[in-house]
Amino acid sequence: MGRIVIELLLRVAGALVAFLTLPLLVGQLEHKAMAHMQGRLGPMYAGGFHGWAQLVADGVKFVQKEEIVPAAADKTVFRLAPAAGLLPYLLVFLLLPLGPGLVGQALDMGLFVVLAIVGVGVVGMLMASWSSANKYSLLGGLRGAAQLLGYELPFVLSAASVAMAAGTLSLPGIVEAWRPWWLLWQAPAAVVFFVSGLAEIRRPPFDMPIADSELVFGYLTEYTGLRFALFLLAEYAGIVVVSALTTVLFLGGWKGPFADHQLGWLWTLVKVFAVSFVVIWVRVAYPRLREDQLQRVCWLVLVPVALAQLVLTAVVKVVL
Amino acid sequence: MRGGGLAKGLAITLRTMTRRAHTAQYPDVRPDLPPRSRGVIALFEENCTVCMLCARECPDWCIYIDSHKETVPAREEGARARQRNVLDRFAIDFALCMYCGICIEVCPFDALFWTPEFEYAEYDVRELTHEKGRLREWMWTVPPPPPLDANAEPSKEAAAARKALEIEA
Amino acid sequence: MTVTDVLICALGALALGSALLVVSTRHVVRAGLWLVVTLGALAGCYLVLTAELVAWVQMLIYVGAVVVLLLFAVMLTRAPIGASDGLDRSRWPAVLVGGGSAVALGALLVEAFRWSSIRPPAPGTAERIGAAVFRDWVLPFEVLSVLLLAALVGAIVLSAPRRS
Ligand code: SF4
Ligand code: SF4
Repeated sequence: MGRIVIELLLRVAGALVAFLTLPLLVGQLEHKAMAHMQGRLGPMYAGGFHGWAQLVADGVKFVQKEEIVPAAADKTVFRLAPAAGLLPYLLVFLLLPLGPGLVGQALDMGLFVVLAIVGVGVVGMLMASWSSANKYSLLGGLRGAAQLLGYELPFVLSAASVAMAAGTLSLPGIVEAWRPWWLLWQAPAAVVFFVSGLAEIRRPPFDMPIADSELVFGYLTEYTGLRFALFLLAEYAGIVVVSALTTVLFLGGWKGPFADHQLGWLWTLVKVFAVSFVVIWVRVAYPRLREDQLQRVCWLVLVPVALAQLVLTAVVKVVL
Repeated sequence: MRGGGLAKGLAITLRTMTRRAHTAQYPDVRPDLPPRSRGVIALFEENCTVCMLCARECPDWCIYIDSHKETVPAREEGARARQRNVLDRFAIDFALCMYCGICIEVCPFDALFWTPEFEYAEYDVRELTHEKGRLREWMWTVPPPPPLDANAEPSKEAAAARKALEIEA
Repeated sequence: MTVTDVLICALGALALGSALLVVSTRHVVRAGLWLVVTLGALAGCYLVLTAELVAWVQMLIYVGAVVVLLLFAVMLTRAPIGASDGLDRSRWPAVLVGGGSAVALGALLVEAFRWSSIRPPAPGTAERIGAAVFRDWVLPFEVLSVLLLAALVGAIVLSAPRRS
């Protein structure tokens, strides 16, 4: 009993550490990669060497800032919203397999759980947008809700395709069942999953709910200090979650060219960061989608492709 | 092809990433500004005759000049004692100056110059009025003018000098 | 009392309490947020009863979609911050209907099981549910999916622009 508890605690602690470090690493990657893609250098001073400590410095700054709660806001909801937005991602971190046997908590239907939890994240955003008592916030929240309701469908459908192919809902099970030729077979689903994942976490070019050029800062408009930092952390945690899910579902998770059992965690991390890099790259390369284009992409492109992929998966599965 | 633009966007950003960044790391690395950059106006005090043209032409009236007349005693027997202008104060209020360069254009005695020096910010707007000492100091930062283009016309002064030489010969 | 008992009691109390708040709070949006808590606690109850799939379906469909849609609609129409006075809640009929059905259901359960203890079934894994749905209950399942499909087609037909 004691050993089990200790092991469980260790796993939870591991997930927590991952939750606190990986988003920061992705954030730093974003700072640097985005800067160089725009011909800039990005942060150079914090920490001495190429600004490696920039996000730590940002964190310290955010902690020092004044917490402002608008007078007209629904104060309780306003204060709780960042936690509600962050917690789902924290839970997801518990379920993502890093290597063979290296997982916070292997669940029989891990995929389903992850999708359910990620879907709940939208509640935090709705809370933030409504309780801010600001019309820009509210507009951002409404856009976000419409976007998330729409993109949930291709997100789940494309994930279902892999689950069908692997014959299991468990995340480690999917990685076990994965074969390199799935890269081709499941390619449309992978693209759909990645794109709708981007929309789920409201990353550019799907950042209509934030749209700083028209909505000030969407549902984050009224947030300052630590709570704003928590929302930012949620955004980067979201990138890690979507990248990790893409890795686990479509890129073979811990399967690498050699030594899967010893170096599995390394392959996973490499893939996660590669996908995160693509997330950042897409942000730099593409302009924001307009609201109608956003819905159009979802319903006229992603959903049909995901459905076609489901048919393809089923056909291949039956034939083989 | 449809969607080609998407790939192109990715390619361009990736290519930019592999190139050197354009960022000038200013406080660590001083920028290399070309001559005649409109940083600040330097005064070559020795050349100034207090003709007041610059102060008069300045659209902002932000050049302040004080002077007095001095009598230079006659140098040789029988000559008249001459009078000459001595510059007491020459100040430019850079809070008002709009860097139009008219004063420099208009100075007939080549006493005003552009210099690329730009680090003269102050905490108080009143302290942006710089006196002739500072303006003179800035003369040391005036870079030499760039050489003329290979087949360019020679400068007016050089041409005039050559002509004078030819006539003499 | 085992850990399971404590957990299920706590979650049940949480579900009940937040459900009461849903109907009694005068903040329209907060009612929706309390609904999230209620449904979450209910999902927790399912989890404790090892009905995993049901629990997560509850999260995905009810919290992730239905409540979000509800909140979305409320915010889109009217959602003042703070209490709204003009809520026309017919208290007594509601108490009657809600309390009545609760009492009736409770009585039914008590009558049916008394103090007999039931051994919990095997955990509701995806595999078991899949087997149950596609082996034993395939006909009702298909009938239901046809019904859903009909509803979907109906929705599309209703919302399609009319050609005159
Ligand atoms: S640059 Fe223009 S505004 Fe400035 S002092 Fe000279 S004439 Fe005046
Ligand atoms: S125009 Fe030139 S010479 Fe005349 S007062 Fe101004 S700086 Fe001196």
